[in-house]
Amino acid sequence: MSARTALQRVLKGSIGPRENDSRFLLDVHARAIPGRERMRRYREDEEVDMVIVGAGAGGSVLAQRLARRGWRIVIIEAGPFWDPDEDWVSDEAGSHRLYWTEPRVIGGEDPVELGKNNSGRGVGGSMIHYAGYCPRFHPSDFRTRTLDGVGADWPIAYEELKPHYEELERELPVAGQDWPWGDPHSYPFSPHPVTGAAARLWKGALACGIRMRVGPVAIVNGTFGNRPHCIYRGFCLQGCKVNAKGSPYVSHLPDAIAHGVEVRAGCMAVAVEIDDASGAARGVSYVSEEDGSERLQRARAVAVCGYSIETPRLLLCSRSRRHPDGLGNNSDQVGRYVMVQGATQTAGRFPDELRSYKAPPPEVSSEQFYETDPARGFARGFSIQTVSPLPIGWAEHVLADGHWGGALREYMRDYNHWATIGVLNELLPHPENRVTLADEKDRHGRPVARFDYTLGENDKRNMAFSTRVITEILQAAGAQDILTIKRFAHLIGGARMGTSPEQSVVDPDQRIWGTPNVYVCDGSVCPTQGSANPALTIMALASRLAERLARGAAR
Amino acid sequence: MIASGAHLPKLRRDGRPPDPSWLPRQRRGITPQMIGRYPDFDVFDAEPTWDEQTRRVVKERLQVRGPLRFFSAEEELTLRAFCDTATAQEAEPRVPVAELVDRKFALGELDGFRYHDMPSDPETWQRVLAGLDHTARERHGCRFAELKQAERERIVGELASGSLKGGPWETLNVARAFKVCMRAILAAFYSHPWAWNEIGFGGPAYPRGFMRLGQGVEVREPFETPGASDEDPVRVAEELEQ
Repeated sequence: MSARTALQRVLKGSIGPRENDSRFLLDVHARAIPGRERMRRYREDEEVDMVIVGAGAGGSVLAQRLARRGWRIVIIEAGPFWDPDEDWVSDEAGSHRLYWTEPRVIGGEDPVELGKNNSGRGVGGSMIHYAGYCPRFHPSDFRTRTLDGVGADWPIAYEELKPHYEELERELPVAGQDWPWGDPHSYPFSPHPVTGAAARLWKGALACGIRMRVGPVAIVNGTFGNRPHCIYRGFCLQGCKVNAKGSPYVSHLPDAIAHGVEVRAGCMAVAVEIDDASGAARGVSYVSEEDGSERLQRARAVAVCGYSIETPRLLLCSRSRRHPDGLGNNSDQVGRYVMVQGATQTAGRFPDELRSYKAPPPEVSSEQFYETDPARGFARGFSIQTVSPLPIGWAEHVLADGHWGGALREYMRDYNHWATIGVLNELLPHPENRVTLADEKDRHGRPVARFDYTLGENDKRNMAFSTRVITEILQAAGAQDILTIKRFAHLIGGARMGTSPEQSVVDPDQRIWGTPNVYVCDGSVCPTQGSANPALTIMALASRLAERLARGAAR
Repeated sequence: MIASGAHLPKLRRDGRPPDPSWLPRQRRGITPQMIGRYPDFDVFDAEPTWDEQTRRVVKERLQVRGPLRFFSAEEELTLRAFCDTATAQEAEPRVPVAELVDRKFALGELDGFRYHDMPSDPETWQRVLAGLDHTARERHGCRFAELKQAERERIVGELASGSLKGGPWETLNVARAFKVCMRAILAAFYSHPWAWNEIGFGGPAYPRGFMRLGQGVEVREPFETPGASDEDPVRVAEELEQ
């Protein structure tokens, strides 16, 4: 252990990020980003340095980094600019506006439900309603083709993201125990206390020889500028009204706005405009909610950060002479290789009350099964994480196990006796799992996205194996009854990065092949997904891209 | 029974829930059908600690009532019977599931996805209601709402398993249609504070938060009350003394 690492361990929580003042810019007594009324505004005909589509994990980090280096930036965001005090509630059904609920079509043999499951809308993106788990990808994730003969190798290695992972863990900030898996590392904040429900599951895991660790969660556990400590109310998935859970809204946008970024909310991007003569983007046209008019924001560069459904949709809708089938789609790669993670959850019943609705749903996790073990009969693996559904989520869980009517009511009344554990399977990329344009039109008259998804053989074996593992954990913990829901979580891919325009959409600098100035900066560039929750990696990729753009390396 | 889980359908020989008559009557607050496992718990006891925005959203659900705006009078009868059957609400007081579902579609609220082989969610609902009446007429010569509880349950069971045939069912992926309907029904029922009283859910917790997380010492805040027990209090006291 180096002297620096040793010192950091002693100083847990007190080392803040170097180039991000968001935690000090927030108000102790109000949750909204201060200074929004004084936010810099740019004229549409003014050519800004970059227009970013989407104020989520990718777009917000990219904007904050580049604004600090003097770039003039406008973020176009389809959803609202939240005021958490006014707009968010401690209530499941009342949080419906946080999700992307515009029409979309799902198909394939294993259709993936969208909306509240995996799609956000509004300033801060889907990290507003993510649980808060913030694991890194493993070094092996970047070379699955070489190591395991499946998926794809990334054009960049883990080491290139590592400094960005470390910086973002300080910015969010992430709390958890020292991490033994992947590239072993520690976290800036100590682990949160563990509830009785999660402790029960942890004990079961230990009895099965499975090691688990507390965290990693992006939830403040100590002093962090003006961000309050977590109050353990359990509504992480409904938007954190406390400002304790990390999301771009609290971790990057305050600093971005202080450095001259304009966040233009309520504006739906409809096309990246390409100049036929030069092949360069001129800007982004969008429809403003205010008056329904279509406008064009001019810019020297464009970054599309709309995530795995809306990014491919926007690219496919952006047709020009040089890109007749959609921007970057001359090799028919846009929208392909979209991935989700298998996210089966199993709940166990215990004799005493556990009341698992308390504390953040993400508590204890394991990455012991992350990499390939040939003995299991499939490539790659899964992670294990405890969760705790609120009543509507619990009702969906009970229904999925086959109960409705009186049986459902009986299981629901038993809510306080249950503890829930889930998996995240690494499901492999497949070209036919893709986003295309449907015939159906949205309220702006633009084609809506269609997402087709079908599991492969390796995926099914992975899911079946991991379901057995978490069921055994519950049995070892002494569960009296077990209920299981098979589901999917997260989105990744759709505009993957690679080393040739024939097999990818963006180059290793996340620039769309064949354009000098259009970048994709969100989860859609990832060629594989590991079995880690994607938020931290999306942010780290944005941080890396910003560094390269600022240095001029990516121009 | 509660400690052993003997009331849980999967642990019972017939796989069915016991008749709800084993449950205590609610003494505080309101629960659907005035039954529940926490007879002395009322989530509104903590209302003074809720933030204003959450209070508005939760209490407004207590005011939801007809007339329905999206579903027709013809559909309303079937809608109510279907919602009652799916949530086992055969008596007052009822969580107004039909009204909440109707309001969702009257406001044009969508969930963000549609299966490629299905119509829109509101259209799916209308076809399901027409299908339930079709099956009831075919088998019993009357409307779905006129059937006895057991007959309604049998038909909804076939809806859940996707085995209903004929008429409107031919235009639907039946099992998927059940999922679509249940998504709205469950979101309505378990968004209602009466259902929280029934299951002992602590409810909104901002800005107060929770402190007793149940590791080692206690799992209940002062305002949360213990679940009902069917154990012999004398024996429990004896065991504690030993």
